Amino acid sequence: MKNNIEKRIKNIMSFVFSISIEEIDDESSPDTIESWDSLKQMNLVIALEEEFSIELKDNETVEMLNYLLIRSIINEKISS
Amino acid sequence: MIGLKYSEILKLNKELENNLKSSSYDITILSNIIVHQIKEILEYLLRCEVINASVEFGDYDNIVQDSHKYKDSNAVIIFWELCNIIDGLQYKIELINNDQLDEILEKTKSEIDLVLKNLENTSLVLINKFTTLPFSSSNIRETNLDRLAEQLNYYLEGKISSNVRMVDFEKVIASVGVSNSLDLRYYYSSKALYTVDFFKTYVEYVKPFVMSANGKAKKALIFDCDNTLWKGILGEDGFDNIEMSSKTKNGAVFSEIQAIALALNRQGVLIGLCSKNNPEDIDEVVESHPDMQLRDKHITINKSNWLDKVSNLKDIANELNIGLDSLVFIDDSSFEVNLIREQLPDITILQVPERLYEYPKMLRENRSLFFNLSFTAEDSKKIEMYEQQVKRKAVKKEFADIEDYLASLELKITIYEDDKSIIPRMSQITQKTNQFNLTTKRYTEGDIKNFIENEFFKILAFSVADKFGDSGVTGLCILNMDDNNKIANIDTLLMSCRIIGRNVEYAFMDCIIDIMKRRKVNVVRSQYIKSQKNEQVKEFYDKCSFDLTESNDSIRNYTLDINMYVPKQLTYIGIINEK
Repeated sequence: MKNNIEKRIKNIMSFVFSISIEEIDDESSPDTIESWDSLKQMNLVIALEEEFSIELKDNETVEMLNYLLIRSIINEKISS
Repeated sequence: MIGLKYSEILKLNKELENNLKSSSYDITILSNIIVHQIKEILEYLLRCEVINASVEFGDYDNIVQDSHKYKDSNAVIIFWELCNIIDGLQYKIELINNDQLDEILEKTKSEIDLVLKNLENTSLVLINKFTTLPFSSSNIRETNLDRLAEQLNYYLEGKISSNVRMVDFEKVIASVGVSNSLDLRYYYSSKALYTVDFFKTYVEYVKPFVMSANGKAKKALIFDCDNTLWKGILGEDGFDNIEMSSKTKNGAVFSEIQAIALALNRQGVLIGLCSKNNPEDIDEVVESHPDMQLRDKHITINKSNWLDKVSNLKDIANELNIGLDSLVFIDDSSFEVNLIREQLPDITILQVPERLYEYPKMLRENRSLFFNLSFTAEDSKKIEMYEQQVKRKAVKKEFADIEDYLASLELKITIYEDDKSIIPRMSQITQKTNQFNLTTKRYTEGDIKNFIENEFFKILAFSVADKFGDSGVTGLCILNMDDNNKIANIDTLLMSCRIIGRNVEYAFMDCIIDIMKRRKVNVVRSQYIKSQKNEQVKEFYDKCSFDLTESNDSIRNYTLDINMYVPKQLTYIGIINEK
């Protein structure tokens, strides 16, 4: 189940940033992924919300600035 | 389309991009709000129709200036958001007086004129109708905003021509619902307003225009007869028992269907029949059934026989000399529909819905398949009427060119030198600015503070105002001097994208050089460092009379003998020094 969530997040990130899944690791962030700018960040939030049927709050969306943080926020959202 | 998730669209669009080999159809979107999510959604929708669309955007809030720059695109789509005509108009408008309201109206009209003049040779220009729904849908009284939108839309109506069309934005919002159309979460921080769901519907309203411009509008509507033009089966129920009279419940549905078909025929759509029936039985209905509206003169081709429909449809395309992809066929039988779908995938097939009362709705919703951009006599009459109306109103200022337009804005820039009170904003713009950023160096508030306190650094920032408002601090230059104060190096030069296109960068450069002269600097050095996004400023220093000393793929170095600097001295930009 947990792996599945990781896979879904990475899938979404790969579509949004137009990169392959292999390029995404725990440290992935706007510093390591060239196409990750503020507009793509919006796209990411919307795609994740659709994928997991959740609604992210303003403060959560600004925190989602690397893969690990995204994963922990999504996990928290899903379990609550 | 509606059923697909946004991430699925991104994925499928990428796949189509790699597969489509046809030359690209370039669409530029000019907007004064952020609508970037439309890109892949629109591309995907059109790529599904084998139009190799490539969507790009003008700079944020730069519609007037970019209309010239992108005039060679195949199509230009304009998102002119009423509430961002001037920043915060949605709340400011209720507090301003009539004169100011008129001024905003006239300014926008003049901008519309200039934009459409720049785009007069662009083959397709789509401009969204102005709407107040995002901010005023719950108002009982008519607001100033409503009145402004009404007048601007009226003005736009008069501008419709063979290449300029309006997109009925409110129909899109109505179809999605106001609250489902809006995501205010990013409005105040990023000026993004509309949801992905909104864009999914919006693109459906844009598609018919693009299809028509690409010669892909459907040309013929072909009916199977039984249970598609009338209720019942002619061969079994007989001439007297088939229903298409507006006076009976089932008949009313088919009466409406025939009326819609008749109206399409008047607009030039060919009507045909393709039915498994005895030909003489069909002929008798067409000639003499009292409730039949489609008569022989409306029906261009009639294939009523006992051959299979696939062969008949191929014959129809051949005889009409049009492609199978120009045909729309309506049938009620799932068997026939599936068979044709499989064997003739190019034909658009509509199946009569099981809930019969939804049949007219289905046909109405598909009328856009036949949408044709060609200009009719009715269109020109309507425009004449609008034009006369508009002429009666006050004479409005015409702009000769961009400079003339910029002069009307009463632009002023305010220069801040080493100003500690704006450290957070200065740091923020180094973090956020990508396009007009010569070196793309990111600095924290601490870094900026250190620069200000260091006597060998000079931090210059500016804000821009025009007669409609102030953009706040939107530009920055960081200079560092050598020990003798003779050589200054421009470490950072950037400007927020929302003020690009007003030539303020040149006025700012005049100020920078002026301040350096006063400091007795002899030489100014500068650098362009290439990034993913700053291509547009690659030659900025060349335009400012700097000499290129060395360059490679990623870096261009410049030097300027300060006495050789040629100031631009733009008379239409006022300069205020805020020490």
